[in-house]
Amino acid sequence: MKIKDDNYMKWFRLIAFIVILISTVACLFPFLLIISASFTQNEAIIRDGYHLIPTVFSFEGYATVFRFPKQVLQAYGVTTLTTVIGTTLGLFLMTMAGYVLQRKDFKYRNFFAFMIYFTTLFGGGLVPWYILMTKYLKLTDKLEVLILPGLMTPFLIILMKNFIRSAVPDEVIESAKIDGANDFTIYSRIVLQLSMPGIATVGLFLALHYWNDWFTSSLFINDTTKYQLQYYLYNVINAMSFVAQMGSGTGVSLGSDMPTESTKMAMSIIVTGPILFLYPFVQRYFVKGLTIGAVKG
Amino acid sequence: MHMTKKAAKAVSMFLSIIVLITVLAACGSNNNGNSGSSATDAPKDTEGTTNEGATNEGGEKSGIDTSKKVELQFYMLGDAPKDIASIQEQVNKMALEDLNATVKFNYTSWTDWDQKYKLLLGSGQQVDLIFTADWTQYQSYAKKGAFQALDKILPVAAPTLNSYVPADMWEAVKIDGQIYTVPATYKEYVTDGFVWREDLREKYNLPTPVDIATFEQYLDGIKKNEPTVTPLSMNSDVKTNLMDRFIGISHSPVGALPYGIGIDYATPNEVHSYWGSDEQVQDLTVMKRWQDNGYMVKNVLAVKDTLQDQITSGKAAAIIGDNPTRYNDMVIKIQATHPDWKLGYHPFPKTNGIATPVHPIHNGFAIPASSKNAERALAFYEKLVTDKRYNMLTQYGVEGKNYEVKDGYYSMIGDSNSNGFPREGMNGWAWRNPEYMLFDKNYDGVKAIFDELDKIQVPDKFTGFAEDYTPYQAERAALEQVEKQYLFPLNAGLVKNVEDGVKTFMEKAKQAGLEKIQAEYTKQWQAYVTEQGIE
Repeated sequence: MKIKDDNYMKWFRLIAFIVILISTVACLFPFLLIISASFTQNEAIIRDGYHLIPTVFSFEGYATVFRFPKQVLQAYGVTTLTTVIGTTLGLFLMTMAGYVLQRKDFKYRNFFAFMIYFTTLFGGGLVPWYILMTKYLKLTDKLEVLILPGLMTPFLIILMKNFIRSAVPDEVIESAKIDGANDFTIYSRIVLQLSMPGIATVGLFLALHYWNDWFTSSLFINDTTKYQLQYYLYNVINAMSFVAQMGSGTGVSLGSDMPTESTKMAMSIIVTGPILFLYPFVQRYFVKGLTIGAVKG
Repeated sequence: MHMTKKAAKAVSMFLSIIVLITVLAACGSNNNGNSGSSATDAPKDTEGTTNEGATNEGGEKSGIDTSKKVELQFYMLGDAPKDIASIQEQVNKMALEDLNATVKFNYTSWTDWDQKYKLLLGSGQQVDLIFTADWTQYQSYAKKGAFQALDKILPVAAPTLNSYVPADMWEAVKIDGQIYTVPATYKEYVTDGFVWREDLREKYNLPTPVDIATFEQYLDGIKKNEPTVTPLSMNSDVKTNLMDRFIGISHSPVGALPYGIGIDYATPNEVHSYWGSDEQVQDLTVMKRWQDNGYMVKNVLAVKDTLQDQITSGKAAAIIGDNPTRYNDMVIKIQATHPDWKLGYHPFPKTNGIATPVHPIHNGFAIPASSKNAERALAFYEKLVTDKRYNMLTQYGVEGKNYEVKDGYYSMIGDSNSNGFPREGMNGWAWRNPEYMLFDKNYDGVKAIFDELDKIQVPDKFTGFAEDYTPYQAERAALEQVEKQYLFPLNAGLVKNVEDGVKTFMEKAKQAGLEKIQAEYTKQWQAYVTEQGIE
């Protein structure tokens, strides 16, 4: 068997190796370019363009981002806090919702399922959402506004519901009931334990959502100490390019020189860092979780 | 998109939300403490206590009712300076005494500010004072009724301000016969001018650029003598950065006009189509020559660098047009990085005679329709402009801490990293008061140019015009696409046959509805000219 396969396997391995090598390089190349550019002097980028090895080495990009380390750290703090609270709370609520919605003995199941599903089809739009948040809930400049909107995502609830349905057979619940477990015990000791892959999936989605969120900050936060990380950095870049553009029409000058290109690159590195560490840990659940909801077995 | 679903869901999941809010209210108060925002909450408490004392003394001065304490919501563009909280506290101390009011300075940040602007004005949220300018669509917002008319409130609530701003300025900001914004009185110019590397010009004995012909000779000289330098600094925005400025110096238009409209400054009543004219073909032929001779880079439509960066890094040698302030910025930067280089500047008005100071609409503050405290807001704004204490504090920060005055010049303490309130750190361009203004020594260069332009100044006939594009909104969007696809390559000199290129472009533009747009624009423009008595 070994001898028979040899030639064929060699070729296969070789081709596979080449394909993977090429795609790895293709994936890594832009990233390396960014790292290199983040260490290049801004003037050199403008004059010579991007290079894999910095033409003129400089830390000024990072220096600009960390010009006010207190603010960057504050933004890191806000993002971490909203990510942790939002993910924990969101997972709790969505597993509860998913569990309740898949219980066949829940009388208003269809009604609630429809209401949730409905909102994925018809949204109110930006303006009503804004008015609800600012005028009625009065959430401007509060940390709650960064957490609340992401807690109950219809898509994730539906995903959770389907997952629990396939992972936890009705019979298990029934037998637990016969053994004297109440609904909460079933939820916490059986449903949660059995749907770990699903929870990891939804948890990663949620964590990514909170980590990458900048839009909510952009709309509702005026207080700079409550900016999320992504928004803080995005705003620094925007301010630079905007000031550069605006100057032509208004004669306004902010006087300070900013190393735009290298700074942008330094920021990308700083922002991607932490989430890179999170990914490998959840990834194995993530792959399993996505398929398990869809394939019965 | 994502978030909107959640808004609707908030209704459907009403019960769970109620639980959530109670849970989060507890979390939230803790969070606030952690992130150190208690500093911003603190002043409110102290205001409450000083309040009772203040009501008895203040309030009589202006003819408005100040018996009830109010908090004014003040909205500015851009980012807040670091020290904003302490400045706000000090302003509030004075404002509470004078007007029984406090103010909250809010900043939109530069990210998506135009969308936020729309939401602020459209959602009915309480906003008492908001920055306006021609580039923030003051005219069209005013026309749509987003702001309160100030004609009646001004003499009552802000008599000093009313007489301080010259009558012709009040007249100039009127939209449909009513005042919607308080204009800034500081006079500045944002006219364009040639910028070039003077040291290279001297080295190769090239002519000083004063018009297109001499500018082209300069570019040619650079091309021949300095192979590593691109003669013309240009980027993908060839419409604004190249064509508008080229037309600005080679013809004498009333302003940077859209949709290929041509209006001469001397004859504002006559409107013609610049697009498709012989004039345009000639101009584009020049562009093609520049491209063919290598004065600008081949891939110009892909370049994103700013024009200024290309000069200060030594990549390019000249900008076809930039304003005095930004020219001055470049001079300062080059002094620091390449002291052996020199820059030259020639403002277009010295050639074509059209030196227009910025229009009063360019910088101002309006009171949105949602404000319930219009009188108090205006009274407060009067203080900002005319009261030296308020003005200096909000423009330059605290003397001795943020800045000091040396020989009559403004001097920042520390540098822009350590200083929490740089010059005009609140972006308070609109409430500059020429009587109290302090300038950096570096600014002398700009002032010298302004003084020259003062001698030949003429009124701005264009900025007061409020275009209403609702009748041709769809055509406008289509035209924009056509412009990008067919006109930009022509502008960049990349089309082999200019005449054919213009023909194709005009065909496509007409299909997009160019004629309808131009006809409607002309109608609106002529109505404006007649109404304002512009000749």
